[in-house]
Amino acid sequence: MGINRYDVVVVGAGFSGLVAAGVAAHRKLKVALVATGAGSFVTGPAWLKAQEIQQASAAPDLGEAIAYFCELASLAGCLYAGDISVTRFLPSILGDFHSVALAPLTLWNAEPRKGISTAIVGVRGLSSFDENFMAERLTEQARLITSGCTYTARQISLSRDMGVPVTTLRVAQCFDRDSAFREELLNALRAAASGFERILLPGILGLETSAEQIAVFERELGCQVGEIPTLPPSIPGLRVYHHLESYLHRIGVELYRGFPVNKVEIQNGLCTGIQVDSTGHPLNLHCRSAVLATGRRTANPLGGEYAGCDQQMRPLTSTGSVMARNLFVAGPLPHSSAGDHGNVMYILTGYRAGSLTASTRGNHAA
Amino acid sequence: MEPAQVVIIGGGATGAGILWDLSLRGISATLLEQGDIANGATGRCHGLLHSGGRYAVKDTDTARECLAESRIIKAIAPHCVDDVGGLFVQCAQDDPAFFDQWWRAAAAAGIRSRRLNADEARELEPSLAASILGAFTCPDAHVDVFRLVLANLEAAVARGGRFKTYSKVTNIHTANGRVRGVRYRNTLSGEEHEIPCEMVINAAGGWAQSIAALAGVEVPIYCDKGTLLVLNHRLNRRVINRCRKSSDADILVPAGPVCILGTSSTRVPGPDGLTASAEEVDRLLRLGEEMIPGLVDTRILRIFCGVRPLYAPKTTEAAKGREISRGFALLDHETRDGVGGFVSIVGGKLTTYRLMAAEVCDCVAKKLGVDAECATDKTPLRPAIDRKTHQRALHLLPHPVADKMERRLGPEVLRVIQAIEARPELAELVCECELVTRGELEHVLGGTTPVPAYTISDVSRRTRLGFGPCQGTFCGYKAMLAGYQTQCWTAAEAANKFSAYLHERSKGQSFIHQGKQLEQLELNHDLYGAEQAFCAKPGVQDGN
Repeated sequence: MGINRYDVVVVGAGFSGLVAAGVAAHRKLKVALVATGAGSFVTGPAWLKAQEIQQASAAPDLGEAIAYFCELASLAGCLYAGDISVTRFLPSILGDFHSVALAPLTLWNAEPRKGISTAIVGVRGLSSFDENFMAERLTEQARLITSGCTYTARQISLSRDMGVPVTTLRVAQCFDRDSAFREELLNALRAAASGFERILLPGILGLETSAEQIAVFERELGCQVGEIPTLPPSIPGLRVYHHLESYLHRIGVELYRGFPVNKVEIQNGLCTGIQVDSTGHPLNLHCRSAVLATGRRTANPLGGEYAGCDQQMRPLTSTGSVMARNLFVAGPLPHSSAGDHGNVMYILTGYRAGSLTASTRGNHAA
Repeated sequence: MEPAQVVIIGGGATGAGILWDLSLRGISATLLEQGDIANGATGRCHGLLHSGGRYAVKDTDTARECLAESRIIKAIAPHCVDDVGGLFVQCAQDDPAFFDQWWRAAAAAGIRSRRLNADEARELEPSLAASILGAFTCPDAHVDVFRLVLANLEAAVARGGRFKTYSKVTNIHTANGRVRGVRYRNTLSGEEHEIPCEMVINAAGGWAQSIAALAGVEVPIYCDKGTLLVLNHRLNRRVINRCRKSSDADILVPAGPVCILGTSSTRVPGPDGLTASAEEVDRLLRLGEEMIPGLVDTRILRIFCGVRPLYAPKTTEAAKGREISRGFALLDHETRDGVGGFVSIVGGKLTTYRLMAAEVCDCVAKKLGVDAECATDKTPLRPAIDRKTHQRALHLLPHPVADKMERRLGPEVLRVIQAIEARPELAELVCECELVTRGELEHVLGGTTPVPAYTISDVSRRTRLGFGPCQGTFCGYKAMLAGYQTQCWTAAEAANKFSAYLHERSKGQSFIHQGKQLEQLELNHDLYGAEQAFCAKPGVQDGN
């Protein structure tokens, strides 16, 4: 296989694209992942809502897809907790509780638990998070959903100059890069956590932090540590993206980051490659099959001809003919019907598209 | 409640203008508004300060009025006006006979204009279509409607005028053929109050009919709905009008960092519960595209509807929305209906609000036996900011931030400057689109301003916070936290106010089913579990 020849080219690095690339790579295919940037899940908490699981519950392969996603995340170093059959209440940025089925472990740790003394710890200068607001709201809201759990507000000050205002991203970067900073944070948290069985922080604990590192952190502090979602930049979301992307790279997926797609090459009802725009000259990525997971927010790479998909996720023209037999659409494209949104649906369609690429392998000579 | 000589009903531009005019004449007055300032037509228009060009062909009198009034407003309220100028663009699709007609009519109305060929026009406005034939210039401008209403209210308060927002009039007392007082309910607290008064001015715009009915008087209002789109980019420097008989989507107004395209024209039964249809939005975009290619692909931030509350006495009943005169009428219910002390001011338009106020106040002053003349045409709405204050602002904040803050706050800016000097963290930009600092936010929330803010939407109207691409997702949240931190609201109140704010903002985004703004909506859903507009059936959402 030549330098720009792949079994599968996946376009888009949201949940759909990342999962599709993972499935194909795990089936020993040579995969390229092309994306202009991270998928939009990175701006949020990257959790899977119970309601979305319920909406997708008719799909026979839902359990399989979610199990695969959890395994992928776990291999990548970002543990997800929960299951499609459970519902937990996790604190939202507004200080109320959302019903969630699966979430990154640190967010999962923030569920209300009766009898566990919990401190909400804010960081001085971090203006987009208010620990007093959060503690007051969560205490009030916890009374409504369970037999109650009280939250106490605490604040820590860090000596490092992190600019005005301090942002979650700035703190997370310091956390990743600087062991002295981690030490200082740990000391400050020790004081704030004293007397509590659990502390909840705004999402600031690094972009690259693994589940093991969080466990070490908890051991050092002698209490459980959880995170609460914040306004973007959402560190828990970015962390999931970082881990998944790095893992895909480690298992041999070639990343084309920052490359916009010029066009999808289709000949005689087969997709022969994806042409991407690289500085000065277009680059052709030849493929045996491809997955489009570009979402509704960017221009549709298939252009105006695209009018939806068939059962096998293949794109159709307005007259109902299949545009390319080895091209699969995961997640929504622009102008797709309402309702098919949400992380659960993105993972499910990404899983299906990845599996379909594996089954079309060798359909034609590239 | 303290008695007043006059009670004004309606907190739009007209009502605020009347309060200022009466206060200048030394007449004690209280204004009652059912929502927040500029809740009706005033807050839901293009914000176009008409030079009169739009009416030149059809209605020379209105055109002359607009020309004179726009000059006055530019002089008395420069901080509210962005004097960008305008173009009337000749599109190849339109009737060339109208172009000449317009040119002659504009001259007859006294509107200064220059004839530009297509190249000259496109040099001024590069985004215009290559197919245009030419353009005429005109002195159109953009006016910040919220600021204009605030400026009138603030000036009035300084002269003893009073006003109450969230105060819905429930009854107008009459006895022996005269009004005696007004009863109103505070819609936030539910409390009812009464104000004894000698006169009542009905300046309720779209609601004028129902207010008049409280005094047993009939005032026919024709509610003509217009839908407008807010686009993320400022595609034009000047106001762009399409040079043809008034029709849909023929005005594009640059408004701060965005531009506003509109409108449509449909008769609706009343000013409440307005909805825009998906077809209407598509049509506006398609028509806009004829003047500005590429417009359909821009990011739509929101869609809103307003009504033109046109005065429609029986004789004009047969006419349709756009054909009814944009002129206004002063109805003296004493001579008309035998209800003494009650007048209504109906019809008209934003640009002529001051003139409308002046005419009502002349009438009211005469009835009250006050002989003071109208002075609103010569009195600046607020004093200029002194150089020293300006310098201090520039030491603390980047130039554009200081400039915007000064335009918004006027001499009040000094309080914010002092606060930032004492607490440098207040220089943080909370709204990055409209350049609102934490200091300004806390000032507006602080309750020391002449026009208090009770909700996050109120804060938006005072500061423009949340009018940019995030539509309040980020800055609205920070405003909520600020309201909590300054102890205006408890955590629960703050969260409820934020939910209400998000709900209000999401109403204007119901047709956005793709592109960057969709990502924003998905994010709202992820973060706040906010009602997702795109889950709803298209075509059934409220306006602004």
